[in-house]
Amino acid sequence: MAAAVDPAADQNPKDAELHENTAEVDAEFTEDEYDEDEEDDELDGPAAAAAAERERVQAVFRRLSSDPVGIRVHDVIIKGNIKTRDDLIEAEVADLLRAAPTVQDLLRAASVASARLHRLDIFEAVKITLDAGPPELPGTTNVVIEVVEATNPLTGSAGVYSKPEARSWSLEGSLKLKNLFGYGDIWDASGSYGWDQTTEVGVGVYLPRFKSIPTPLMARASLSSQDWQKFSSYKERLLGLSFGLLSTMNHDLSYNLTWRTLTDPSRASSKAIRRQLGHNLLSALKYTYKIDERDSHLRPTKGYAFQSTSQVGGLCDSKGLRFFRQEFDVRGAVPLGFYNAALNIGVGAGVILPLGRGFMNSSSSVSDRFYLGGHSSPVCSLSGLSSLLGFRTRGVGPTEARRLVPKESDSDSAASLGRDYLGGDLAVSAFADLSFDLPLKLFRDAGIHGHAFLTAGNLAKLSEGEYKNFSVSEFQRTFRSSAGVGIILPTTLFRVEVNYCHILKQAEHDSGKTGIQFSFSSPM
Amino acid sequence: MASAAAAAAAAAAEWEAAARKVLVARKPCFGLPTACPNCLPVLLYLRMAQVPFDIHVDTSFPDADHIPYVEFGDCVAFNNEKGGVIEYLREEKLVDLNSNDPSASSADVLATKAMVSTWLADALLYELWVVTDGSVAHDIYFSDLPWPIGKIYQKASAAYEALSLRLGDEVFLFDNSRTDVDALFLGHALFVLSALPETSVLRGTLQNHDNLVNFAEHHKVQLLEASSSSGLGSSPGPSSSTPRKRASSGQSYKPKPRAKKERTEEEKKFRRRAKYFLATQLVAVLVFLSLMGGVDSSEFDDDDGMDYEE
Repeated sequence: MAAAVDPAADQNPKDAELHENTAEVDAEFTEDEYDEDEEDDELDGPAAAAAAERERVQAVFRRLSSDPVGIRVHDVIIKGNIKTRDDLIEAEVADLLRAAPTVQDLLRAASVASARLHRLDIFEAVKITLDAGPPELPGTTNVVIEVVEATNPLTGSAGVYSKPEARSWSLEGSLKLKNLFGYGDIWDASGSYGWDQTTEVGVGVYLPRFKSIPTPLMARASLSSQDWQKFSSYKERLLGLSFGLLSTMNHDLSYNLTWRTLTDPSRASSKAIRRQLGHNLLSALKYTYKIDERDSHLRPTKGYAFQSTSQVGGLCDSKGLRFFRQEFDVRGAVPLGFYNAALNIGVGAGVILPLGRGFMNSSSSVSDRFYLGGHSSPVCSLSGLSSLLGFRTRGVGPTEARRLVPKESDSDSAASLGRDYLGGDLAVSAFADLSFDLPLKLFRDAGIHGHAFLTAGNLAKLSEGEYKNFSVSEFQRTFRSSAGVGIILPTTLFRVEVNYCHILKQAEHDSGKTGIQFSFSSPM
Repeated sequence: MASAAAAAAAAAAEWEAAARKVLVARKPCFGLPTACPNCLPVLLYLRMAQVPFDIHVDTSFPDADHIPYVEFGDCVAFNNEKGGVIEYLREEKLVDLNSNDPSASSADVLATKAMVSTWLADALLYELWVVTDGSVAHDIYFSDLPWPIGKIYQKASAAYEALSLRLGDEVFLFDNSRTDVDALFLGHALFVLSALPETSVLRGTLQNHDNLVNFAEHHKVQLLEASSSSGLGSSPGPSSSTPRKRASSGQSYKPKPRAKKERTEEEKKFRRRAKYFLATQLVAVLVFLSLMGGVDSSEFDDDDGMDYEE
């Protein structure tokens, strides 16, 4: 029984009036069909009848905007799904709709439900209609959900994206097969080729909900190769399985099982890298907690963001890689009044510790360490711990001399010897970025803006007993830093940054260069 | 000649300067300091020459060809360069046992060395990989690896060994007549040899068996290539692909051509300038497009509007 139509006598006069009004409105509801998406007035009959109809609808709107009008959802009817299972759609939206006590809430819930169903990415169109309930039950409504499934389940896409782990942007293509079994499952196969010869192929499956688990599940198998020959004298080949166990807006838990092979075809690596060549197995659980209250990802002007990533490796096997890795990242954006300017500040820190017996003297895995350097902008992505504008990728931190091959050249044999960048176990980086509009209206309309930045960062080695030599004052003293100005051009294909960087402080073997640099990142 | 002498002198200087040499070998087992049949001779050679050295155990690269290797200072002598560690040390005169007794006829030494390193080594490998149940090989090479990796390579190695013995010197695997097993294995072998990269473990393991590689080459010429030379491929015939492949089948990790690294300064400058030029052109085009087209960046903030509880 609808609570609105309560014929109980012991009500004060205000309630009585309210109930009277709602009863009137309910009468409207039992007569009319209210369509959420469109207002479709039936214009049959003479103009007077049409005008009366319009007047009634106006009255409904007036009632709705003044007082809350009670309603109860009697039934949720799902139409139009041939392949998709009913319980999937019901599990997504039914509770939400049934919980709405008033018409206004129901309208809001309906728009949220429609967004949720669109987000499943398997329907072409979703239409939610509030129909009259059965005539013997006044004050109720039937919600009719009409879905149109995608006619072509196979979609393909290609694009240019930037990954924070890889050196630069990569060309990615993927094929998606949607809703193969009716569970809202999305199967995808993707391949990507990076500018730095990083290649990856993978297949994966995504399930929005599985039986009683309300969060989406994901599984992915991938084969990828990365080429760090120029920086650290090794190439990496990874064959991995990854399972996304829990994924909500703030939390993310995943399990990764990866077989990594490090080789050095040039046979010129330094001793530290040579000791790490070979096969290893990574079995790790990764938990990410993220809050992002900034108003935009590309050009934040207000808000804050925080991300914490924890990874524990070596779960099942004592012979796999065992370590604990923790990363923190804090951002904030403050708007300044003039020229649409904003000040972005961020600080990030990370540490990796080997676990197991004798962990104080064992070394950390070179693929899991922290590296600073690269052209990617620290403002946009949340995992900005690795970017330090002005320095080359992996261009900062502890290094070691490569293998010396006694050659015919008597002089310069030491100069031609390169150095391998080994990365650090402890990394700290910070940046401050002031973005502002350019004075020309032409630039403002196109979204082109300028920025001035200051970045700093440092890496330190803690494993293999080096933590005894670690001192905070020395760490602070050897902080590398750079400053500069630049212009950002957002285009449809990628986001281009042209920066002029000036290195303020660098250590002896760092590869930082004062000059103009380009950086490309994904437009999203 | 002077350049080679200079290189040898530099190596010798590095050897003398190194305070402590390090031999990287596989793990000890069965009461031996290192149980791998490739590493043990190097260790014994250094011990006989009374060179003081430390041993570092490598547990994660069972299929590497470069192990064992000796580090001295910043230099390294790998086992897959210049004929092996012992050969390298002897030729560079760093550790030369034979120099103590120049009367030993070099022909005798070479003949005996050939006998030990082929007849005895073959029998040892056969025993190690095929006759025993693989437990010995597992203890030496794979016992410290996490389990899935070791089993895969161990099985593949055992399979190649068995097939190599089955094939022997014949043309086909079974009784000198074609079987479907020939086709199956031929398909596998041709793929591994042609498609997998040089750094592939599986390819390296297959290339250790010369008769299997010859089997694949011979049948490839017969079945796949139109102009083929007959016979078991002993003639350095006009077909260009076969001789080159046989030359590389002996060594798995060929030294990468060094010429690529030694670009002249001018070329580097030219390349850098070319890159800058291209990048500037690209940026100019993009700026033009964005100014003329205009990009509506506000549409990317759509997701923030849908703020609701899960």
